[in-house]
Amino acid sequence: MTATDTTDTTLRTVTLNVNGQTLHQQVEPRTLLAYALRDAGLKGTHVGCDTSSCGCCVVLLDGDTPAKSCTMFAVQAEGHQITTVEGLGGPGNLHPLQQAFWDQHGLQCGYCTPGMLMTAKAMLEHNPDPTDQEVREFLSGNLCRCTGYNNIVKAVQQAARVMRDEAQAQALAGMVPGTDPSTGTAGGGAQ
Amino acid sequence: MKPVTRRRVLIGLGSGAGLLVVGVPLALNAGRPAIVDYIEENGTGPQDAPRNPDLWFEVTPAGVTFFVPKIEMGQGIHTALAQIAAEELEVTPEQLTVRQADTARGYAGGTMFTFGSTSVKALYRPLREAAATLRELLREEAARQLGVPATRLTAAGGSFFVAGSRERIGYAQVVAGKQGEWVIPEATPALKARREFKRIGRAMPRTDFRDKVLGTATYGYDARLPGMLFGAVARPPRFGARLVSASAGAAGRQPGVVRVVIDAGAGFAGVVARTRTQARAALPSLDLRWEGGTTASSADLDAQIQAGSGSVLRRRGNVRAALSGGTVVQGEYRTPLAAHAHLEPLAALADVKAGGRIEVWASTQYPQMVIDDLRDVFGKDREVLVHPTQLGGGFGRKAGQHAALEAARLSAAVGKPVHVGWTREEDLQHAFYRPPTHHVLRGSVDPDGRLRGVEQFTAGGDIIWGQTGIPEFVRDALGFDPGGLLGQFMPYDFPAYRVVNRREALPVPTGYWRGLGVLPNTFALESFMDELAHAAGADPLAFRLQHLGSGEDGRRLRGVLERAAQAAGWGTPLPAGRARGVACCLDLGTASALVAEVSVQEGRVQVHRVTVAVDPGLVINPDGARLQAQGSVMMALSSALHEELTIQDGRVVESNFDRYRLLPMRDAPPVEVLLVESGDEPQGMGEPVMGPAAAAVANAVFTLTGERLRTLPLRPGQG
Repeated sequence: MTATDTTDTTLRTVTLNVNGQTLHQQVEPRTLLAYALRDAGLKGTHVGCDTSSCGCCVVLLDGDTPAKSCTMFAVQAEGHQITTVEGLGGPGNLHPLQQAFWDQHGLQCGYCTPGMLMTAKAMLEHNPDPTDQEVREFLSGNLCRCTGYNNIVKAVQQAARVMRDEAQAQALAGMVPGTDPSTGTAGGGAQ
Repeated sequence: MKPVTRRRVLIGLGSGAGLLVVGVPLALNAGRPAIVDYIEENGTGPQDAPRNPDLWFEVTPAGVTFFVPKIEMGQGIHTALAQIAAEELEVTPEQLTVRQADTARGYAGGTMFTFGSTSVKALYRPLREAAATLRELLREEAARQLGVPATRLTAAGGSFFVAGSRERIGYAQVVAGKQGEWVIPEATPALKARREFKRIGRAMPRTDFRDKVLGTATYGYDARLPGMLFGAVARPPRFGARLVSASAGAAGRQPGVVRVVIDAGAGFAGVVARTRTQARAALPSLDLRWEGGTTASSADLDAQIQAGSGSVLRRRGNVRAALSGGTVVQGEYRTPLAAHAHLEPLAALADVKAGGRIEVWASTQYPQMVIDDLRDVFGKDREVLVHPTQLGGGFGRKAGQHAALEAARLSAAVGKPVHVGWTREEDLQHAFYRPPTHHVLRGSVDPDGRLRGVEQFTAGGDIIWGQTGIPEFVRDALGFDPGGLLGQFMPYDFPAYRVVNRREALPVPTGYWRGLGVLPNTFALESFMDELAHAAGADPLAFRLQHLGSGEDGRRLRGVLERAAQAAGWGTPLPAGRARGVACCLDLGTASALVAEVSVQEGRVQVHRVTVAVDPGLVINPDGARLQAQGSVMMALSSALHEELTIQDGRVVESNFDRYRLLPMRDAPPVEVLLVESGDEPQGMGEPVMGPAAAAVANAVFTLTGERLRTLPLRPGQG
């Protein structure tokens, strides 16, 4: 990708793949991904510093790479699968991380929460069974001024357990003949 | 209990849906600012509710809605107040819909102002009275509709059950069946006794977490209206600089710019554009000339903040005589200018209708101030409606200057809604700050280890005075800033004590910061108490316990000290290279004691474990209380270990989190919170635990290294 000319203010249409849907956004080349997403109504991606210092704006690229969307131009995100907090789970199907943050009081004002969730998601993709210190290290680029951090670590560990259990159940289901992997239920009446 | 004879209860019937509205405005104590009353009353006994705690409920066939007249900034106030309301209303949490009140509904004299850990403390009784009044009204009406005596009805789960029968009637049905006016009784119904509580004191799901984990909560930064535009406002190059000339320059020709708005007389120059990016990018193209302002540096501020003279705030015994004998100890402490660093910068959306209503969606702790400021500019009689949004942190910053007025000026100019969202640079460099403080302490201990007396000189920049329009001569006549009183006095029993305090108006804006004086003052006093203990050759915990009085304050401090010490294993061996420190404080009616376990590596303090015991009187929500304590401890540790703003040539040097460092997650120690309850009244929970952490850490460092760190942030080996 060539360097983006930030003085070029010609509007152009970017095609972004966000949460599995295709978005066509009119942006200037200098428009940051965070603002393109927010202008598209995805306001769960928060902006706290504009300089990649606080982590409120983290989204995922291609499922497992955390990216601070305030330091990436929208045009640079073309061709990537972008996941925002809105794509993590919905009202009826919270992601284990969302449920865990809620259960463990891993938030207070909630402004840092979408960035925490997305960063934690990226970590668990690569390291499904982290130590507490690994969680702390991985999330140290995400600032929180309210919680005292400890409940965030607990929340990530709760989610990691749930996700490991789910993965294990799926794997088991996949090994048993006659099992439908999509539901994880055994056809042979193993329940 | 507050007499209720002056109480006025408003009630009205909505159309169709059987809408019932109850409000309980309490009469005013006309005169001084509420915050002054509050601060002066603090710690002296039970408090009246602040003015006009209007609490509204709506009962419809869909259920009961509670419009909360306080701002949710993460502290869990909506949940705590919903719990209190549900208790007397006899509804389940699920039956209560919790909504933020706007100023049309919830504003009545300033009580929406959310500050000073006052919300639960002030609204605990009025809210229960309002809820109980509603419940009893419904009971009378239910009895009439069912044709049974009201005494036979038991309220539970949003229904009345008839004793001795299987009959029941839901609240909504009662409201729907009501004909004619509701008549509110003059007398307040009996409130439930504590032993009858089903909701207060228990965990309850947070009302705000669902939206927050989904990313759908609306903060000030997220406020949107159709056809809106985005604004950005020019900032002075130095504090106090005046805009002497302004023109649009090339800004009007920048892409996306809709209008350049200049009001040089008001010191205002801004840009409205189609996107935030465009508005911000056009700002430097404005042709502005600023003059004057301060050229002060941090050293100048420190020179101005010098303890040693001022108002005598407390005097008992003969300090001169006390300090003329025994082992005399002297300590001099300083705390720096600090920022709030709430993660959501200031933000507001304003819609100014020409000659008509001004409507604002703002990230504010203080909606009434927004209204007042808008009326100062747009006319005393202008209709203003403020919708407080969720706040991405507040910590006192959002009780001060705000983005709403800027958005309104721009909206008025373009005739469309305009959003202004500050950048982190603006938020760090153009804010007001926790003022620097200086403390000089002298004390003396007897050979038998008793504290003979303490002489205490304190100086600090203005806090409350820094954010109010009170003239300097009035401030000077009073001699102290009420905010500086928090944590100002040693809670120990010893014969001679003299406290002399000095306040200063600084050339840099200063004001409310979480806990006001409690962190700086407690750092100094509890570090000094440690110095005295070591001079007496005593264990710092034992020395504190030995000097606590037999009154309620002493009893409660003893309770939290013993609890924290026991849980932390005070006095038990630690691995090599580690030490513990203890500190305590009494603030806003809440006692807390904290034990920190630390090490020092390469000139850096690492806190490994924190144990804190907190006695906030009555606990409303144990999860919420623990969370507030944990958050306070971490903010205080961050302040103690990292945070310091530097002033150079009249401006703040640090512009973002790369230079203004917060404690990162990797350095955050586990914090164990122990709740100790005493009494039947809830006290402050949002701020008091800001007090003891800094001193506890410094005291641990002394035990470990022998170096007494008397300046924040704590930097071992650098004096």
